Amino acid sequence: MNRRTLLSLLGASPALLASRPAETEQAPSPAKATKAAAPSPKVEGLNPKGTPPPIQLIPMARRLDSLNGKTVWLVDTGFEGGGMLLEQMRLWFNQNMPTVNVIFRRKAGPYMEDDPVLWKEIKDKGDAAIMAVGH
Amino acid sequence: MPTTPIVTQAFRDLAILNVAKRGMPNLRITFTPHPVAAKTPAQLHAYVEGNDPVSGKPMMKEIVEALTVPLRADEEKTGLVEVSVGPVKYGPDTAKNLQQFYHDNAMTDFLPILIPTEEEVGEMLEGTSHPPDEVVGKMAGGAYPPWSYTVKQVAINAVMAGCKPEYFPTVLAIASSGTPSLMSSTNSFAYAAVINGPIRDKLNMNYGIGALGPFAQPNAAIGRAWTLVSRNLANGGVPGDTYMGSQGNNLNYNNLIIAENEAASPWVPLHVQKGFKAEENVVSLFRGLGIVPGQGARGTSTDTPKYEEQFSDLFSVFTGFFGGLVVADPLIAANLKERGYDTKDKLIDWLYKNTTQTVKDYKSRDFAYGFDYPRALKGLEPYKTWYAMPDDAVIPRWPHRDDINVVVLGGQTNAFFQGGSLSYTVSVSIDKWT
Repeated sequence: MNRRTLLSLLGASPALLASRPAETEQAPSPAKATKAAAPSPKVEGLNPKGTPPPIQLIPMARRLDSLNGKTVWLVDTGFEGGGMLLEQMRLWFNQNMPTVNVIFRRKAGPYMEDDPVLWKEIKDKGDAAIMAVGH
Repeated sequence: MPTTPIVTQAFRDLAILNVAKRGMPNLRITFTPHPVAAKTPAQLHAYVEGNDPVSGKPMMKEIVEALTVPLRADEEKTGLVEVSVGPVKYGPDTAKNLQQFYHDNAMTDFLPILIPTEEEVGEMLEGTSHPPDEVVGKMAGGAYPPWSYTVKQVAINAVMAGCKPEYFPTVLAIASSGTPSLMSSTNSFAYAAVINGPIRDKLNMNYGIGALGPFAQPNAAIGRAWTLVSRNLANGGVPGDTYMGSQGNNLNYNNLIIAENEAASPWVPLHVQKGFKAEENVVSLFRGLGIVPGQGARGTSTDTPKYEEQFSDLFSVFTGFFGGLVVADPLIAANLKERGYDTKDKLIDWLYKNTTQTVKDYKSRDFAYGFDYPRALKGLEPYKTWYAMPDDAVIPRWPHRDDINVVVLGGQTNAFFQGGSLSYTVSVSIDKWT
């Protein structure tokens, strides 16, 4: 690091190294500083966003006429507490809608992993599903 | 099959936006109070017997109706919906007003940006031989389908971040990885990029004194560009939508940009460990929770400075879910080499064998419950074996030896080191984007 750079770190002007003050380093005169500012130019800025994919609308499955006599799967996604919440729902169905056959299952793998084996089993053996919990 | 999701109240906006982006904007969602975790059965029973806090309706009645009330016409819609992100340009207006416009529309990190005019972006595009309309990659901000982006779209963000054209290939390499630096998780993630090769000197990157501080334009601007790329090109970092980190992470401003101090290191640089040649320019990405400093340089005393033990002590407070990244000053690296660690691999072997935990401590961690336990149930190792062991059994801190990485960084003013709770994800060629 040379002396000029070192002095700049101290906040001192490199002009200190010169044999006499460098006029170009001096502050502008008050007259120059109070000169009226020109209007700011106008510019255009580009949109920085990426390109989202289109959304394919998916129709919801036809609803059941009733849950009476139907098999409802309670699926635990794996977030902490979800299984306990679903257990309370199972108890609610037993008490309030005893004709509903309730099956509890925790999906395989962490919450963000798909579980196609379970989805197929539910489609084959069930009538409806409740998934919990999105936390 | 009729299906209905149960979501906690804190995730209302996320749930509504998520199902809309996935094509079911009217999906019938029932909400519970938040949180569900760490509640007693009695408390959860009260949730079930109570009302949906969003709709105010009895929760179980709402669930039953979600599965049985006939569909409305808008719930049976099909078709393709295009999504607009607005006009190609904003203005004309003053730079000051445009600056505020970008802030107001959350397209910045809320620090001043350089307005991305056609002229500025054109100059940035001179930094690569790739055509402006070439698709660079896709990136998902949150748990949504990914957005795509071109070379020009990346250039716009590089301008905003304050990059020079010569930095652009590195930004493109990061963008091409599809790795966002803003993670949707409720944990507040941090990201790191290790840059290796001659480009570090070509760009005047700082890998000496204060390398991780705000003391060099390429380190600062490249890291900032990664965040703006994640924000704008992937729609990441929208609190309540694509970002749910409870506390946030200050490192997200410009991430950890680590230009490894290859000249002062006694070991092969990281990119060579990952299979690249020394003369190649490469960026390697890491993801995790952050980085913490060691507790002072015992090596300055006359005692034998067992740095490997200090590293291990530091990592003993980390979750092993993320990898361990040792960031060691060259003074430490030289000392370790003198003491027999003539390769990074020897140090990694020692750390893997000697940084341990009990099964009880392991199981107590949130990440173990949410990620490793389900893997154990699926029979994946080592999780299956670990979950079958007694609580007082001692197991490695990390599932795999490769979870540990070492880089050398710093100006040798202090035998200083830091430890990252950071997992290696991918290495990308920068040269490909020149």
